[in-house]
Amino acid sequence: MMKTLKELFQLSDDATQNLKSGIIAVTITNLVTLLSVVVVVNLFTQLINPLEGKEISFSFMWIMLGVGIVLAVLLFFASKNDYRKTYVSCYTAAKDSRIKIAETVRKFPMSVFNSKSLAEITTNMMGDCASIEHTLSHIVPPLIADIISATIVCICILFFDWRMALSIFCTLPLSFLIILGSKKLQRKVSKRQLEDKLKASEKIQEYLEGIKVIKACNLGGTKSVELEKALRDLKDSSIALEMKTGVIISVAQFVLQAGTGIAVYVGTMLFTKGDIRLLPLLLSLAVVCRVYGPILSILTLLPMLEHTLISTKRIKNLLSIKVMEGDEISTDNCEIRFENVSFGYEDEKVINGMNAVIPMNKVTALVGPSGSGKSTMAKLMTRFWDVDSGKITIGGIDVSSVEPESLMSMFSIVFQDVTLFNDTVMNNIRIGNMDATDEMVMAAAKAAQCDEFINRMPDGYNTVLGENGSTLSGGERQRISIARAILKDAPIILLDEATASLDPENEIQVQEAITRMTENKTVIVIAHKLSTIEDVDNILVLNNGTVEEQGTHDELMNKNGLYAKLYNLQEDSKKWQIA
Amino acid sequence: MENDKKGMSRLMELAMMKKGVMIAAIIMSVLSTVASFIPYVAIYLVIKEIILVYPEIGNLNAGKMSLYAVSAVACVLINLIFYTLSVAFAHIAAYGTLYQLKIDFVNHITKLPLGFFYNTGSGKLREIMDNNIESIEGFIAHDLTNMVSAMTAPFLMLVVIFVVDWRFGIASFVGIILAFVGYGMTSGGDTVKKLMDNYQVALEDMGNAATEYIRGISVVKAFKQTAFSFNRLNDSIKRYMATVIPYSLSQENMTAMLTTMFASMYLVLIPVGVFIGSRTSDYRGYVATFIFYLIFVPAIGNILMKIIYAMANASNIAGSVDHMDNILREKVIPENGKNLVPSGHDIEFENVSFSYDGEVKALDTVSFKAAEGKTTAIVGSSGGGKSTIASLIPRFYDVNEGAVKIGGVDIRDMEIKELMNEVSFVFQDNFLFGVSILKNIRMGRKDASIDEVKAAAKAARCDEFIEKLPSGYDTIYGSAGVNLSGGQIQRIAIARAIVKNSPVLILDEATSFSDAENEYLIQQALSELMKNKTVIMIAHRLSTIKDADNIIVMEEGKIAEQGKFEDLLNAKGRFEELWKNYTTANVWKLKGRG
Repeated sequence: MMKTLKELFQLSDDATQNLKSGIIAVTITNLVTLLSVVVVVNLFTQLINPLEGKEISFSFMWIMLGVGIVLAVLLFFASKNDYRKTYVSCYTAAKDSRIKIAETVRKFPMSVFNSKSLAEITTNMMGDCASIEHTLSHIVPPLIADIISATIVCICILFFDWRMALSIFCTLPLSFLIILGSKKLQRKVSKRQLEDKLKASEKIQEYLEGIKVIKACNLGGTKSVELEKALRDLKDSSIALEMKTGVIISVAQFVLQAGTGIAVYVGTMLFTKGDIRLLPLLLSLAVVCRVYGPILSILTLLPMLEHTLISTKRIKNLLSIKVMEGDEISTDNCEIRFENVSFGYEDEKVINGMNAVIPMNKVTALVGPSGSGKSTMAKLMTRFWDVDSGKITIGGIDVSSVEPESLMSMFSIVFQDVTLFNDTVMNNIRIGNMDATDEMVMAAAKAAQCDEFINRMPDGYNTVLGENGSTLSGGERQRISIARAILKDAPIILLDEATASLDPENEIQVQEAITRMTENKTVIVIAHKLSTIEDVDNILVLNNGTVEEQGTHDELMNKNGLYAKLYNLQEDSKKWQIA
Repeated sequence: MENDKKGMSRLMELAMMKKGVMIAAIIMSVLSTVASFIPYVAIYLVIKEIILVYPEIGNLNAGKMSLYAVSAVACVLINLIFYTLSVAFAHIAAYGTLYQLKIDFVNHITKLPLGFFYNTGSGKLREIMDNNIESIEGFIAHDLTNMVSAMTAPFLMLVVIFVVDWRFGIASFVGIILAFVGYGMTSGGDTVKKLMDNYQVALEDMGNAATEYIRGISVVKAFKQTAFSFNRLNDSIKRYMATVIPYSLSQENMTAMLTTMFASMYLVLIPVGVFIGSRTSDYRGYVATFIFYLIFVPAIGNILMKIIYAMANASNIAGSVDHMDNILREKVIPENGKNLVPSGHDIEFENVSFSYDGEVKALDTVSFKAAEGKTTAIVGSSGGGKSTIASLIPRFYDVNEGAVKIGGVDIRDMEIKELMNEVSFVFQDNFLFGVSILKNIRMGRKDASIDEVKAAAKAARCDEFIEKLPSGYDTIYGSAGVNLSGGQIQRIAIARAIVKNSPVLILDEATSFSDAENEYLIQQALSELMKNKTVIMIAHRLSTIKDADNIIVMEEGKIAEQGKFEDLLNAKGRFEELWKNYTTANVWKLKGRG
């Protein structure tokens, strides 16, 4: 059984051990509680003694009071022990799960983040793990302990009188059948509710991220139809879940508790016929008042368990996604080759049998219309994604055999969209190289022209940026990204249109920074502004996922093909002015 | 939010948002509790009958016995019917209330200044919607009805006391009081509250760390910086565990005490039983009563446990509600109800000063006028205050001093709705929602017809690529196989603004992030959009604004100079410097190795 639980909740060995001792502790508490029956039995015996012509012993009743008090003290410690054991174990297990998710998630190919939203993965980490906490503290231990104690009570009554036992428990199978029989329905409504919950969560995240547009379009609150609908669906499916499972549980409870009446009826019938003695009858009646408690809680806990298992299943599914693996890379050769590479996001082909060579220690530009595959090429060589067919090599080594993190040590990347963390500016730059001293960070920041705006911030380098650095302008973000890349100092530099949204003053400075950063490196630049790449060594012109033209600026202009067309278009748009 | 109710009274206020249904739920719950006592009474009567005649069992009235058995079953049924109804009503009320609260919450935060979102973080806000508000369900649907029905238990006990035997009754009451004394001694009070606060903070922190971690995963991968971002998350997960366990354990003694007290309450009956038993004249009556109480008292204990648990839950939930209320107490951008309507479409800044943090002035007594139907360009180095000007016009923030006016009317005297109808925007960071492209464009104006949307898309030069998407205009953005480039997203944002067709247009660096082909198309789209509008344009590409009617040069929150392009160049001031830089930057080339 522990093995099943371990499997079910993806528990570590320690957590399984903790859970086991938690369950044992709760069972002990239940058993101590049951022991009080001994006191009650003895009291009953004494009380009916005079009715059967024997003597009542009040001093024995005092002894029973003593026994009862001892049991109470035991119970206090037992329940203290079980509380401690279950809570420590459930929170430890949830922590383990969260860390495991965090560790696994980072090894996923980017395709996973394309198909799963931010809200979905964070829900796995937060909500689903919280539901593990709840399950392991409030559901599993009491469920198992209740089953054990209900069974013991059942056996004891059987020992006293099998006919009474039968009449008390005759309804039990039926009520369990109702619960188990409706499992499918319950699973369906549970699943629906959890899906709606996730959907609502996604819509909320989107609403928060798009708040500027929402405000500008005056689409706040209920006017945001999608969010309103998601919240309404969640309301409806939550009510449906409670109604359907609620009614089922209630019916099952009724069936079970109808046993009270049956026991009273059968008991009195047997008694009037003289088939049962007084003490067993009284005991049966006392038991019938208490025994349904734990069974009722089993009936309620089972569907709850069912509901939470969907959460654990979601975690399991997430953890079963194949992670990217490979060997460490060590090569001084930075030549990158694409050999007959094809790749698509979902079904849409983006790279189509591409062959290309990016020479070492040269500056290579990737140009082409949007959707031609420039950014995708960059994502493939850095193994953000894996190719569908063909192969990409760096210094002759197939990148798909290289451990992604190790591969990344070859690249310094300046992204178009810059992600910043809710931390100090200093630490945000230090991401480039965690071993860098403050002085090194500041030098890189200076080189990337960040120095001036950072010094203007309230606490300079120690200023904490908000969520995703939302207070910084596009240009400032980009310069931080460049500073990171400078600090990293890897042999291959990948620039994704680094100077798009800078004001002219900064642009010059950033250009200088880039010039310095790219010295003696293998440089790949995804260029939008064609004039900036006129002097590079090699230009790959992409179209529809293949290399359509290749050469230097002059060669390509003479060819009068796609490159020349794009170049002339841009020269025209430079002349654009507002009317 | 004006009221500052806290704790229980705030929870009650929330629970009574759906008053009718909730009261029905409570009444059903009370009736169900009453019905749940009747089987005990039936059993008492059975025991009494038996004890009275024992051992002469032939004298038992079989008919009476069957009646008791049947009424026990009937009351179980009645109990469950009431119970089910109560649960149903309570959940309808609960989820209806949650829905309403979430909508109210969203409505409220939407009216907050933009800075609030930057400082709070989406993880925290989502956590409040997903979990804090959701937790109120526990109180409305479970705890409240449990508490009310459990409170009927003492009254029922009073009845039992007078009907059955007052001496055992008083003893049971003593037991209950002892249990509550034990509870009072072991519940931690302020220490627990503090531990709970720590735990709540750690929980929120973990939510934010998780969101940030996933969002930054590409950077984390690119810089091999698992350690950095991962450690933050890892620490927050561990810190959460380190706060939640002490918080839980702070209730350890209390829980154990309650379990013990309620399970052992029957012990107080023994001394009373001995005392009465040694003196009684009606021995059979005494035995029946004693046995009844021995069976009945543990049942009372169970019901009282419910009260305590419900109260403990309620205080947890009240903590969650506090977090929601803190945000509801944030000051919204106010509407003063004057609802003035502007008489023209010019924009005027009158001695406007503004600071994001209350220290550094982002704008310092700025005055200018953007004439109706003309284009005003705003240029300057970063941090000069350009984007701040753009943020003040839609009231993303309110000015600290001075006023922003449209058509002579202070924008604070306008209805927000009216203001937003007056102005449209194209930002540098545009955002598309996970809905169809059609709906994304239609966000500009909800009642735009499909033809109008298509015309706008055409004008914004995005119809061509939209048609090529798997389901054309009905393609859901973000769904499989839909990858739009920055330039394409920008053109959709322009189409949004074209559909809106408001008289004032604000362009915040709208031409950045574009490749050759896109840039050309975006320019075409913008020309289309800017026709006959009052335009405020924040620009980096200075060549694009040569023909602007007025150029304002911002420098450290102040207007350094303004005028027409040629005049500014001739003035040889700040603008001329910018222009020189710009032309140098434009001829910069990334050098190859030759």
